[in-house]
Amino acid sequence: MAHGHELDAHAMHGSHALHADHGPRVLPKNLSAPPMVNAWRSQALIGGAVALLVSILFLFSHEGRMHFLRAYLLSWFLMFSLCGGGLCVLMLQYVSGGKWGLVLRRPLEAMTNTLPMLVVGFIPIMLFGKSLYLWMAYPTYEAVHTALENHALTEGEAHALTWKHMMLSPVSVSIQFCVVFAFLWTWKALLNRWSLERDADPNAGTSASFEYWRIKSENLSGIGILFYVTLLTIVAIDLIMSLDITWYSTMWGLQFLVGQGYLVLAVGIWTIVRLSREQPFATALRVTEQHDLGKFLFGFVMLNIYLTFAQFLIIWSANSPEEIGFYLHRIRGGWWAICSLDFLFHWVIPFCMLLSRDLKRNPRKMIRLTAFMMFARAFDLFWLIEPNFPESMNNFGHAGITMLAYVTVPVGIMGLWAAYYLTNLASRPLVVLNDPHTAEILEPEHGH
Amino acid sequence: MPVEEGVYGLLAEFNTPQAMVYATERTRAAGFRRMECYTPYPVEEAATALDVHRNRVPLMTLLGGIMGLTTAGLMQTWMSAISYPVNIAGRPLFSWPAFIIPAYEWTILFAGLSAAFSMLALNGLPQVYHPLFNAPNFRSGATDDKFFLCLEATDPRFDLAETRTLLEQFHAVSVVEVDL
Repeated sequence: MAHGHELDAHAMHGSHALHADHGPRVLPKNLSAPPMVNAWRSQALIGGAVALLVSILFLFSHEGRMHFLRAYLLSWFLMFSLCGGGLCVLMLQYVSGGKWGLVLRRPLEAMTNTLPMLVVGFIPIMLFGKSLYLWMAYPTYEAVHTALENHALTEGEAHALTWKHMMLSPVSVSIQFCVVFAFLWTWKALLNRWSLERDADPNAGTSASFEYWRIKSENLSGIGILFYVTLLTIVAIDLIMSLDITWYSTMWGLQFLVGQGYLVLAVGIWTIVRLSREQPFATALRVTEQHDLGKFLFGFVMLNIYLTFAQFLIIWSANSPEEIGFYLHRIRGGWWAICSLDFLFHWVIPFCMLLSRDLKRNPRKMIRLTAFMMFARAFDLFWLIEPNFPESMNNFGHAGITMLAYVTVPVGIMGLWAAYYLTNLASRPLVVLNDPHTAEILEPEHGH
Repeated sequence: MPVEEGVYGLLAEFNTPQAMVYATERTRAAGFRRMECYTPYPVEEAATALDVHRNRVPLMTLLGGIMGLTTAGLMQTWMSAISYPVNIAGRPLFSWPAFIIPAYEWTILFAGLSAAFSMLALNGLPQVYHPLFNAPNFRSGATDDKFFLCLEATDPRFDLAETRTLLEQFHAVSVVEVDL
């Protein structure tokens, strides 16, 4: 029953079967960004400039100026989410390792290098903060006391302002932001410098070099993540939560942390999938890593709704008058529609889409979905920011046309930010070479 | 029960995964579909060659998840609003925010169980008898160092003599008939 055959001939057939389709993959010689990145940058600049020009129209009315300023705060927070959040994901991929981090590393570095724009962009918030924050409008105990006597403040607001004065006063917040920016600057400068030195290492490619750089980056990143999470919580409290001085939530920092991961991954995936149309990412980005990143993004979509809903459930269960105002202001008076759309945009749509394996592996669809998720993140911030203000809470329809500042200002600022980001991206080779994972992403791909 | 008789299929034995994958690709190209590879460890290329990456497990998982969500939602609504209504701090009897966490957990539970059980069911497990174990070389080699390709007799293209000739051209160590 056994049919013996000579075995010499078929070994050749065999190796043909395993490698002909997939082939050993080689990176191209030129690892710099393809010319299309310059075209994207021009588009971002033109789009941003046009949107900012249109935004100038809003400066001619009082309502318009107010909405311009709040929309500017939203844009600044988006920039912070990408710059600081980008640093956090960069540190995360150093401590966790993995091929997903290798393909995202250069885009993340480009995000962290937009820090100068973030620092300069913070100045207007401090200059015009009187129109945003009660703690800026009434910066001292005396001012609060006088305002209370003149009935410019409610008893609750005056009490909260006095109680929170240690943290929320112009001087205190300025000091906090000096610490935040100093931290961001130190960590992003070191990680970015090491990343280039690592590739220029004369011992590159040896396991001694791999280990040296791995341990060095890990040690800085581990402690950096701890600092970042603390400082991010402070920023989220100072700039967004304190828009309503009486309200507080212990979920706040975590919610923004996850929101930043959501946005950073969306922008990162969008960038590398678009880059994969041409070399070097046509070789460097396999469907496997795109699929893995899609799953990771799905995790953030899930965690985001989990924390957002947890905060709602805690406040809903406690039903205490100090807290429920936050949600009542964001549900009543037409805000119900925005709240529902936020739920739909921010969670339902990305969740249902990312369930699909085919979608996560399809470049075109991932580009569209991640672009949509960037919009969803901005929409969520709009719902968090605008109802804080007395004329707007419980009354979505009051503002009319000037509400459009929430469209034009973020488009304008983020257009400029995107141009800066793409400039940074084009300034380095796109693929990291001195890393053990680089060999792995060049291995032939298996369907999973 | 009547005793089934006949041939289950033709089993080709190979010494290397490369040879097995090559034979699999060629026989698939020749039109065979009712076929299976048996290897001592997972060989991704074999799965690709057999095109078995697509299956119904995801659909079953989704249906399980939807079933868990509906079950938990309806169950809690019935318990809190109909079967045993209790006034809790003046909240409505149908307090959906409080139902979401259990509903979420049931979604995951049902989806997970559906994934595990549908995987077993679609694999045809549990199975107390498989004809392949009638082949002595399969018994000794399939979990050790041999790679097998089996073309099953239920395939419309299956013809004992022709299929044997087809398989023999790939220089298999052996091609054996497997009894049902």
